Amino acid sequence: MQLAGASPSGNRPRWVRDLQRDALGYSFAGPAVILLVIFSIVAIVVSLWISFHEWTFLRDERPWVGLENYAKALDDPVFGKAFRNTARYAAIVVPAITGLGLLLALIGNEARQGRAVFRTIFFIPTLTPLVVLSFLWIWLFEPTGSFNIVLEKLGLPTPNWLMDPVMAPFAIIIMSVWAHVGYYMVIFMAGLADIPQIYYDASEVDGANIFQRFWHITLPLLRNTLIFVVVILAIGAFQVFDQVYLMTRGGPDNSTEVMQALIYKQGFEFFHMGYASAMAWYLFAAIAFFTAIQMRIFRSQQLY
Amino acid sequence: MRIAGVSSRTDTGQLVKERHSTAWWVGNISKMTVVYTILIITALVFLYPYFWMVGNAFKTNEGFYTDPYRLIPEQFSLDAMRAALGIGRVHIYLKNSTIFAVVGVAGQLLVDALAAFAFARLSFRGRDVLFVLVLATLMLPYSVVLIPSYLIVYWFGLANTYVGVMLPGFAGAFGIFLLRQFFLNIPSELEDAARIDGATTFRIFWQIIVPLAKPALLTLGLFIFIFQWSSYVWPLIVLKDWDKYPLTVGIALFRSTTWTYWPNILAATTLGTLPLIALFLLVQRYIIGGITLSGLKG
Repeated sequence: MQLAGASPSGNRPRWVRDLQRDALGYSFAGPAVILLVIFSIVAIVVSLWISFHEWTFLRDERPWVGLENYAKALDDPVFGKAFRNTARYAAIVVPAITGLGLLLALIGNEARQGRAVFRTIFFIPTLTPLVVLSFLWIWLFEPTGSFNIVLEKLGLPTPNWLMDPVMAPFAIIIMSVWAHVGYYMVIFMAGLADIPQIYYDASEVDGANIFQRFWHITLPLLRNTLIFVVVILAIGAFQVFDQVYLMTRGGPDNSTEVMQALIYKQGFEFFHMGYASAMAWYLFAAIAFFTAIQMRIFRSQQLY
Repeated sequence: MRIAGVSSRTDTGQLVKERHSTAWWVGNISKMTVVYTILIITALVFLYPYFWMVGNAFKTNEGFYTDPYRLIPEQFSLDAMRAALGIGRVHIYLKNSTIFAVVGVAGQLLVDALAAFAFARLSFRGRDVLFVLVLATLMLPYSVVLIPSYLIVYWFGLANTYVGVMLPGFAGAFGIFLLRQFFLNIPSELEDAARIDGATTFRIFWQIIVPLAKPALLTLGLFIFIFQWSSYVWPLIVLKDWDKYPLTVGIALFRSTTWTYWPNILAATTLGTLPLIALFLLVQRYIIGGITLSGLKG
């Protein structure tokens, strides 16, 4: 028996103790690190490797083709269209959700009673699988559906949303804003709650109006939340898939074709996995590029 | 609840506490009218599709096509529910979704917590390098790893199996990061005392750290549950047999098969949606608190 307080390995050489210490650490961290290395690090190496091959599931022969898959994507008009559609989707959805989420959070914060109830209601779409939401919105977007009934009452035009190549991308955008805005509202409300009330009281004494207070207090102090929301939204927007695949399948006339849906189709419907991987790397490059730009803009702006 | 405790910002009453003028009252009441009108209209915009879904899930097929926009069925019917659970096989999809979500949550919480404990509390060679490696995986977009992940699962012989669907989700870099932050804030005196009493490292982890980290584990667990329950493209790729499909993949099948039987589809989506909303209502104060706790605000 050891005395209480004495190290059980006290009389072993130092290198043995070091090894035991390392072994303990590795056994705790091991399962997670191994899984993440396999499904992230090994995965990107595999992805890069197969993007240089004509890699298909259907044949055993997988010849090296160098950069051919990457060149082929640039010549593919559908790829170009999907790239532009994805960029447009992100360019509209990211500011729309950020702006509406912040506006709803500001309005929600004004409510004295029932704030938690409204927050819960706005959060419900976050709890619903996008597959389910897509099915509901297919019906809402019917030519005589609820959405058009409201538009008609307001005296606005009532297009056949999902069948019209001009309107279909906007149908997807409207549905996506509706589906995601509640989650970001909750994040903004948490951010607003952290701004000390004393700043607002002080600005009141100075006679600042509601817009001055928003511009000079709320916005600068919400900066970290804003960076987080914009970056996460943009990364997600570039990879939009479920609602497009289920509501329009990329149609009509490829007007809603997006990168992730194209990668899925090429990879798992036509089994051109090398080609699909090359397209995935273009998408990765686009995401990395825009994330870097966003970080730079946020960092350079002296908000306070 | 912390958010509920914050007073209104534009409330001039904060400064002039006593005796409000008539003008103040008029201004305040009209402002609150605007605020609540906007909130109620927005709430209806969010809720309407759900009312519509649940209402139509209890219609007969004729009742649906007579007036699909009627919210309360003229003739209340359980046919669609029965059909969804029978020919629609929704009970099988529900079982599979539950397996994926519950096992996914339990597995990831354990694996993440063990790793987070190692990175927060143990010292070993290469610890910091490994932690940076874990964080680096957060930056990889899902779309790049989708195809190779499937190939890896296939090479392991796990395609079309439950394990194949769940395996990549057993470790999450974000969860490890979040739990490590939480563990770092637990005072080390408790741990030292247990160590002096001769507790093994695993016992310290299991009997001291894990119980203290319950709020963080619960929040993370709920986020994983929502993520797993809603997951669509990954199980769609890995699985071939319909009897292994989760609800999302199963429901999407209706898009091509029982296309004309909308009440059946809506009964299926109702059954797939309500469990998650009910779960959220039960534990929502943890999840709302968790958004603050997780440092999502940067």
